[in-house]
Amino acid sequence: MNNKNIDYGKIKNNLQNYIEPNIYYCCQCGKCSAGCPAVDLYDFKPHQVISLIQSNRIDEIVNSSAIWLCLECDICSNRCPENISIAAIMNYLRVSTWQKNTKKVKNISIFYKLFVRIVQFFGRSYEPGLILGLNIGTGRFLNDFDIAVDILKKRKIKVLPEFVKGRKKISKATKKYL
Amino acid sequence: MAQETNKIAYYPGCSLNSTAIDFNISITKLLKVLGIGFKEIEDWNCCGTTPAHHTNEELSATLSARNLLLADKMGYDEILCPCVSCYNKLSHAAKMLNTSFSEMNPFEQEKKQQLVSDLKEMGFELKDSYGFKIYSILNYLFEKKELIRQKYLEISQTSGYNKSSLLAKIAPACYYGCALLRSNKLLKFDDIENPNSMEILLKDIGITSKSFQFKTECCGAIMSLTHKDLVLKLSKDILEMAYDCKANCIVVFCQLCQQNLDLRQSQINRYFKTEYKIPVLYLTQILGLALGLSEREVMLDKLFVSPNI
Repeated sequence: MNNKNIDYGKIKNNLQNYIEPNIYYCCQCGKCSAGCPAVDLYDFKPHQVISLIQSNRIDEIVNSSAIWLCLECDICSNRCPENISIAAIMNYLRVSTWQKNTKKVKNISIFYKLFVRIVQFFGRSYEPGLILGLNIGTGRFLNDFDIAVDILKKRKIKVLPEFVKGRKKISKATKKYL
Repeated sequence: MAQETNKIAYYPGCSLNSTAIDFNISITKLLKVLGIGFKEIEDWNCCGTTPAHHTNEELSATLSARNLLLADKMGYDEILCPCVSCYNKLSHAAKMLNTSFSEMNPFEQEKKQQLVSDLKEMGFELKDSYGFKIYSILNYLFEKKELIRQKYLEISQTSGYNKSSLLAKIAPACYYGCALLRSNKLLKFDDIENPNSMEILLKDIGITSKSFQFKTECCGAIMSLTHKDLVLKLSKDILEMAYDCKANCIVVFCQLCQQNLDLRQSQINRYFKTEYKIPVLYLTQILGLALGLSEREVMLDKLFVSPNI
């Protein structure tokens, strides 16, 4: 199933007008991909992503895993000889397609949703709930069990959640986003 | 005037209240020793960090901006934000609030419009522009390096001063991580590929750092929860390089780096059949020790790899 309901024209327009006007200066030197820490996991490498945008093939990027695995360490943008903010482009492709994208990397999508729900409910993050929820959601029940034992032994985690007084207002104002 | 500059609002962030409590305590104790007045933002909320930022920029901006406006209500516009992720998100929100509508392009204006209407919904009155300044811990301490040096000279000459035995032995590798110095061209106070502000701070308290090649490599950060294999590999490379550089400890200022290198070190050893045993300390713990705090006060006991070198 591919993504059909996404307005690629608008994305392209915003990319070249506001996010990164330099995008057509890319000369495919590949310094971004050489520095990228997660490049082995990508199906399109950072310099290929730029090339696909230049040739109006944004749908292929959105259907790939590359944008979801970007760590946003920003080494690509800083080493780019043409000063193209590649990480910012990756992020724009993520946020502008999040709602309609059916090809999100599953674990990451579960993690992000769970985290935002927790923040909307408590007002703050709640680590034990997050880790437990994530293990159940992704079906890896014993993931990180070994270090969970270490953490509990050192008492280095807050077992009970903290509640923010303004949490209801936060939840109400941000519910529409996710 | 001098007093004015020594006052700052403090935004610890979620993980500094939980799994990085040692970082939090060592910062607050260090600030007290330095005589810097700070006040925690009342009723602060989570900035949304990567999950909010990667799914919806408006959500991230709204969550972060609430904290800024709470600080503003308390009369502060300078905010210390030790968590690197919070620092990035709060800086981003500060940039939006600091810029007035007339200076923005239509794309940014639309975003700010949304932010303003969300904040009004939460009951805040907004001005057209603000003067927020967000500090990361490294940036802040580096600006105060003269104060730290003087305090150290003062304290180390008092008769009761016992130099911590740990400080005499350490030869650290300073690890900066990726997120602070490269963050969207927000902060330019040190070199991106070869920073040395930590080395300078440590030199002032008599510690010489080892030359370290992986200063700004990425450790994998929050991906540790979803793509553990990748994070273990990236973190292993950093530990290996620290060994190759003959360092006997790693100094960091980011709790995500610290967790991946310290807490997951036992995992890395099991996974790659290695025998690394290198302590990973916070910069603030070392500075605290040098300024006369005890090992207990800076919570060295909370480290997973024991700091007995």
